[in-house]
Amino acid sequence: MTKRLLSVGLALSLAIGIAACGSSSSGSDSSGSSGSPLVGAGSTLVAPLMSKWQSDYASKAEETVTYGAIGSGGGIDQITNRTVDFGASDAPLTEEQFEEADAQGDVEQIPWALSGTVPAYNVSGAPAELKLNGEVLADIYLGKITSWDDPAIAKLNPGASLPSTKITPVYRSDGSGDTYAFTNYLSTVDPEFQSKIGTSTQVKFPTGVGAEKNDGVSAAISQTDGAIGYVGLAYALQNELSMPMVENSAGEFPEPGVKSVEAAADAVGKIGPNNEISLADLPASAKGAYPISTYTYVIVPLESSKADALRKFITYAIGPGQEFGPDLDFAPLPKQVVAAGKKAIAKIGG
Amino acid sequence: MEAGALRHPVLRARRSRKDRIGDPLLRGLSGLAAVVAVAAIAGIAYEVFDQASPAISKYGLGFLTTNDWNPVSERFGAAPFLYGTAVTSGIALLLAAPLSIAISIYLTELAPQRLRRPVATLVDMLAAIPTVILGLWGILVLGPFMRDTVEPALQSVFGFLPIFSGDPSAFGYLTAALILTIMITPIITSVTREVFETVPADLKEASYALGATRWEMVRQVVLPYSRAGIVGASILGLGRAIGEAIAVAQVIGGAYEIHTSLFHTGGTLAAQIAAQWEGATGQMQKASLAYLAAILLVFAVAVNVIARLIVQRGQLKDTDVTPTEVEAL
Repeated sequence: MTKRLLSVGLALSLAIGIAACGSSSSGSDSSGSSGSPLVGAGSTLVAPLMSKWQSDYASKAEETVTYGAIGSGGGIDQITNRTVDFGASDAPLTEEQFEEADAQGDVEQIPWALSGTVPAYNVSGAPAELKLNGEVLADIYLGKITSWDDPAIAKLNPGASLPSTKITPVYRSDGSGDTYAFTNYLSTVDPEFQSKIGTSTQVKFPTGVGAEKNDGVSAAISQTDGAIGYVGLAYALQNELSMPMVENSAGEFPEPGVKSVEAAADAVGKIGPNNEISLADLPASAKGAYPISTYTYVIVPLESSKADALRKFITYAIGPGQEFGPDLDFAPLPKQVVAAGKKAIAKIGG
Repeated sequence: MEAGALRHPVLRARRSRKDRIGDPLLRGLSGLAAVVAVAAIAGIAYEVFDQASPAISKYGLGFLTTNDWNPVSERFGAAPFLYGTAVTSGIALLLAAPLSIAISIYLTELAPQRLRRPVATLVDMLAAIPTVILGLWGILVLGPFMRDTVEPALQSVFGFLPIFSGDPSAFGYLTAALILTIMITPIITSVTREVFETVPADLKEASYALGATRWEMVRQVVLPYSRAGIVGASILGLGRAIGEAIAVAQVIGGAYEIHTSLFHTGGTLAAQIAAQWEGATGQMQKASLAYLAAILLVFAVAVNVIARLIVQRGQLKDTDVTPTEVEAL
């Protein structure tokens, strides 16, 4: 008797549950706007900044933003399928990705944070502030420079004693905005790198060791004498990795950090038709500019039931939200980029 | 007692009501559970092949032999990962199977009674280590040890073989194979141990009575009697090794071509899917990764089916065969 009641009850509650699920999901689709939080997903690079934004925005605007740091590729997928309200990517969308994302109505791409990618190395017997340049880095990753006492490295470090240790280049085996920034820079300075490897969040390096995420790369570097790799600026600074100095177009070796990244961003005025900005090709006049700086982007649909909330949040992110940057090793956006961002924001829902 | 209970009118009524509802309910619920399980497998297979269909129609079977994986030029092939999967799981099986048989013999025949249970539990606990932690240990401890000690030693003795040529490296096929060995040894051990325990005591006694030493008894009674079980256990371990993604991705070094040297970096089907699915740069890369997943699925199912067939056939055959084998002693 009781069992029967139980099973009937179970069946009933199951049916009600299913009905409730159906109605609630269709309800949120049509009503939208206030009440339901903004949902975003993508870039892990922007995640620390995002978590500051979330708590600050919740207290100031009393609106919640949910963010899943699932990686740039995942963010692009999710916004393409409109399963989130906004996506975040460290690499600007390719033409193919734009076509796919535009299939359900146009999307806009807005730069909303600025950081850098830095090489890190572990070579016993090498000087603490080893100097390198783009050509040498490209040749290392092409497998053309294979030992640390190579004449090309010695030429950049006059008087320093360099060990003959074999060079082990370390790269990211998963898709990464750092790989994009690094290969974008090396492709810009070295035509051979561009033709043989190219620029992407995932590329095929002819030599070296692949590791997963910043942690994997840094572990591989620390366990291998003679290793060099690349990680996010914030990660490198917070974990105090030894970073070689990389020569910029002005012939200087600026210290990687918020200041030198900001200098690089200030030196580049060219903004692409989709708001993409490459900081790889710095002018020789850019003093103190860090050569491997990079923007990270938010991708928003122009038509959205939450257009108002999106406009408000992104205006906050590229405006007052930038204050939190320097503490987390993000440089503030330059004025002209903020202006371009505001123009793009105006198109949302309009 | 049952007949007596049913004779009572009230109890009979209750029993029949229970029968009316309970039996169909049990049948319905358990049937539903079985259908859900089957539907899940079919659904997964459909989804994988559906996602892979752009790559399957673009590359066809040539995908299996293309020795490249380049997301920039969109040239994708499964050969580097098929090779890597075969090499790493093959080596893992070659190392883990004898090791597991030795552990099982020790635990069932040789170890003092007091030690058997604790040691068996410890071996089983090896299987409980999360693979991501095993992978991390691989990066920090096993990899450097391989590069500095094991690989130079192998090279100094067998350096003339191309598989031991090139520079020793902390990341590569061999490190991944050893991580897999550690991972599948407890699985093979626990199954072979169970199988060894089912060897009838009278067969063993008979062997001893005929003057066999312990080694002769193990070789002539325990091993032949358990042959099918050992093979089944090994293939179970092989299936696990083929499917392992995370720990392998951490230590194999993600290279996208076939390399002869076992010291070199490489890739496996599962590790490649785990590393690149999330950040795939285009639809064709996604589809190609799904194609790898489809190959992996077919592989894994085939291995499981083979294991089942061997175990089933072996069980039937062995019960017929053992008495005559014992007579032959």
